[in-house]
Amino acid sequence: MPGFSSGGVGGGVGGPASAPPRPFRPSRYVPVSAATTFLVGSTTLFFCFTCPWLSEYFSSVIPIYNAVIFLFTLANFCMATFMDPGVFPRAEEDEDKEDDFRAPLYKTVEIKGIQVRMKWCSTCRFYRPPRCSHCSVCDNCVEDFDHHCPWVNNCIGRRNYRYFFLFLLSLTTHIVDVFGFGLVYILHHRQQLDTPHAGVTMAVMCVAGLFFVPVAGLTGFHIVLVARGRTTNEQVTGKFRGGVNPFTNGCLRNISHVLCSSQAPRYMGRWRGPQSVEVHPPFLRPPLTEAQLEAKVLDNGIQNDRHSTRSKSSLDQMESQSADAEPPPPPKPELRYPGLPRADTEESSLLTEAPPTPSMYKYRPAYSSPGRNHTALTHPNKMIRGESLDSPSTSILQSSHHPSYRSEPSSLDGATVVGGGVGARRGGGERGEGPGGPGGMTGGVSGGMSGYSLAGRSYTSYPSSLVLSTGGSHSSSLRSAHTAHNALATLQSEGTTDTSYKSLANQTPRNGSLSYDSLLTPSESPEFESVASAGAPLQGYTSPFLSAQIAQQREGQLLQGSASFSSPHRAYLRAVSPPPSSPPGPPETQHLLQHNQDSSRPPRASSHAPSSSSSSPRARSLEPPLKKVIGIETCCCLFVFVLICTTHLHVPLSLVHFLNIPLPLPTFPDGCPIRSTSRPGLTNHSTSKPGGGVKKVTGVGGTTYEISV
Amino acid sequence: PLKNTNICFHNLQELRHSASLATKVFIQRDYSEGTVCRFQTKFPSELDSRIERTLFEETVKTLNSYYAEAEMIGGQSYLEGCLACATAYIIFLCMETRYEKVLKKISGYIQEQNEKIYAPRGLLLTDPIERGMRVVSFFHGRLFTAQNLGCKCDEKSSRCF
Repeated sequence: MPGFSSGGVGGGVGGPASAPPRPFRPSRYVPVSAATTFLVGSTTLFFCFTCPWLSEYFSSVIPIYNAVIFLFTLANFCMATFMDPGVFPRAEEDEDKEDDFRAPLYKTVEIKGIQVRMKWCSTCRFYRPPRCSHCSVCDNCVEDFDHHCPWVNNCIGRRNYRYFFLFLLSLTTHIVDVFGFGLVYILHHRQQLDTPHAGVTMAVMCVAGLFFVPVAGLTGFHIVLVARGRTTNEQVTGKFRGGVNPFTNGCLRNISHVLCSSQAPRYMGRWRGPQSVEVHPPFLRPPLTEAQLEAKVLDNGIQNDRHSTRSKSSLDQMESQSADAEPPPPPKPELRYPGLPRADTEESSLLTEAPPTPSMYKYRPAYSSPGRNHTALTHPNKMIRGESLDSPSTSILQSSHHPSYRSEPSSLDGATVVGGGVGARRGGGERGEGPGGPGGMTGGVSGGMSGYSLAGRSYTSYPSSLVLSTGGSHSSSLRSAHTAHNALATLQSEGTTDTSYKSLANQTPRNGSLSYDSLLTPSESPEFESVASAGAPLQGYTSPFLSAQIAQQREGQLLQGSASFSSPHRAYLRAVSPPPSSPPGPPETQHLLQHNQDSSRPPRASSHAPSSSSSSPRARSLEPPLKKVIGIETCCCLFVFVLICTTHLHVPLSLVHFLNIPLPLPTFPDGCPIRSTSRPGLTNHSTSKPGGGVKKVTGVGGTTYEISV
Repeated sequence: PLKNTNICFHNLQELRHSASLATKVFIQRDYSEGTVCRFQTKFPSELDSRIERTLFEETVKTLNSYYAEAEMIGGQSYLEGCLACATAYIIFLCMETRYEKVLKKISGYIQEQNEKIYAPRGLLLTDPIERGMRVVSFFHGRLFTAQNLGCKCDEKSSRCF
């Protein structure tokens, strides 16, 4: 029987460290209850009121067919709801030993020739495998994380994606059937529409018609995802924008992998049979003194069973789906072995000091004060959690840094060296890879940094796999990177996101909370990416999984009519971040749909002229009202329509300009009424054109459009 | 031979908590071919003095082949899927999936390897499924007996108090 995972049930007998029981939140169950009610209720009414006549008039195959489809839908719904999506158990303390807190936040791995970054998960305490993501709603890392679906109140991951997909397919079929047969009934009872049967049938048809649009949209979206071998997480965070997906094996193989592969095993709650242990030779463990036990308890912040509680309790202090707590960093290796004599004296000094973390200074260059507590920099209400967590974590930092740790260059040398070590190795050792190597890395990193500084807390959801320029090496350890130190002067000034310490991994987990909410709050990733790409046009923003040698080329190609996934998405952002006069909400999406469908209209950018240079504050300021106004998955489905339209209609370049996509475009097709003057790095530079009827519009990144009105 | 000794069969989880002074070596996953389950066959330096390279590599390669077999998309997995759909997944209550069957084989293999090869060298190989198949871990160094831990064992439930 599939494991039950809803409601935060912990591991079973003898199971590994599992998620702690979470407080009961009734609001989480509202969507799933509503979905169940509508599904079961409407179908029951259909069977009771419509089917008897249908079976008499036509044949009894109809109700049987409908019953079969309904049961299939219900079965898949239950499996998607109750099945463990592929939760990874928390890593135990011993695994941290290798990755002490000076080790980088990211580890790179090469998958089919493409560098993929694995991020350190501070809650689960391991480097997340590729395609794994941490869901902040469930507080677990999930394998092959797709998204967190509120309608089934469960994450969708490797184990239950198939059931979710089949649920969508069967639900669409079921809705079509119910609507169709209801229509047949109504058409044959046109004179008896006042009977209760007809009334109920019409009501059921209305419900079916209402749900058809979002469900079908979502189904279409997932069909595209399955065919392309992507997860929702990857699609929405734009990891493959213009790049290569290393996880795809071709359309047919992707489909067969989803539908025909064997059911993946669960990792949580496994019964572990007794294992015998040979002893060669017997060994007496030295008795631990009380102080040593204390030290052991404190050295990595908390014991296994407590550490996740701590991270969870800190989670409670903030809204769901926002940034995660600041779990303590992995401890110093020496502290792990309380038998060593040093541990005692170090611990006592650790606990009394609480220094701030200067490495935050480099991590967030927008915040220039090194002396401040790093938690203050990240988020106002994080201060509380940070303080509570501060003493063990920062004391650990303190203890393991040299006294010179306060001076940022020394600590940051470490940080920059790691990522730069990679870059330098690549640059130096892999000249044959192509000219874009170091530049691509720089671009990616600086793009990342500018995105971080602009988008506030959005760095947490920076796609956890960032392409670095090609190179085969795994750069996981600081120790190996020290040789490349001096090659990284260029990187230091820009700061590096991927070389932050794991100890700063407090900011991690936004990226995991991918319900469709993140479609409306895309400020984290896609927006940041659009900002980054706009803000660093010359440096060549590299989207993930992209080999650096084509990164520069992609930048130029990105919007040239090739309906990439991002353009409608960014267009959506753009369309909803207009001057304040436009009302938010459904009119925005109307705009969007209109624009995409009516490409023949002359571009009128006057109503869509963003005058400021950055889209991120605007988009973000509109998020809360948007969230409330538009249903999230409905939005997703509309968005899917847009995607499908633009994918297949090959949005012309002029339309793209009209929608004010903020990328510098070096060339223009002739005859386009919009001329653009690309001014990288500048904003709002107006050269007033003589003569009336020319309007200047400035996009993000300083691209200026002159539009004849 | 183990039945003759007077130790109880410890759940490896418990031992791990106690065996904090045993050194652990972790073999990480090899992601070069995507997310299929493979482990790196690179020989870790910490085991250099303890076991022959060939034995280690053979173990890891055999494990990799088992996992490849489990994840293979072929006739059996397809039939299993169809049967599951046809019975509205009730079949999962009665039947063990292909993957689970292979996992059982793997645990048996690991147990056998431990008994024959690793334990005589003072090593203990753990089943990767316990850690979410992210790593294979080798314990080495010295481990504990029940007597040394001073606990009383209930041999029926295989638990320690």
